[in-house]
Amino acid sequence: MVYITSWDEFVERSVQLFRADPDSTRYVMKYRHCDGKLVLKVTDNRECLKFKTDQAQEAKKMEKLNNIFFTLMARGPDAETSEVTGKEQMDAQPTKKGRGRKQ
Amino acid sequence: MVLLQLDPFLNELTSMFERSNEKGSVWVTLKRCTSSLKSKVQRNKMATAGEAIEYRCLIRATDGKKTISTSVGAKDHQRFQASYATILKAHMTALKKRERKDKKKAAEGDKKEGAAKKPKRV
Repeated sequence: MVYITSWDEFVERSVQLFRADPDSTRYVMKYRHCDGKLVLKVTDNRECLKFKTDQAQEAKKMEKLNNIFFTLMARGPDAETSEVTGKEQMDAQPTKKGRGRKQ
Repeated sequence: MVLLQLDPFLNELTSMFERSNEKGSVWVTLKRCTSSLKSKVQRNKMATAGEAIEYRCLIRATDGKKTISTSVGAKDHQRFQASYATILKAHMTALKKRERKDKKKAAEGDKKEGAAKKPKRV
């Protein structure tokens, strides 16, 4: 699997992947202190997205992604992620899938 | 695998980070789980009936030798999130600081970076 180089692309695609199959998608963070490397991975066992960095700056961004995933996983796919991210682009996505809103 | 309460989990995670300072890695996995319901069929039934499903987030951490886990629900995930972020911030000290554009003080910068890489042990 090739690493995704753009952070924004990684975030967008991993959230999409989770929304498509929330039951089998997991988010893994690997931190290696001696090499100063951080690897993030999101996979649903079919597709795998990875992001690698050694920059402290990216670790700060990762915090936001952690928040997104905690919120999505603990509150369900309909949870608003905009309050955590402050990004408007996230708002458009929940309506598309409409999981668990059959009425 | 042991399912810990939130605070013991955070403590154990902290010592995992400390143990892997010299060599080794730490993995943390987040995954959604629906605690009370066993089967997918059951869940789907509830979803179509319009019943609320309680989602929880399962958190596993391992250093390759020991595995610990915990789970957070909608109520306590924000508190956990904050403590988790603090632990990460405190231990991810080997990552590089942003490179300065002015290379005039490169020698000084190197020294500073060297110092930053080795976190001061208390």
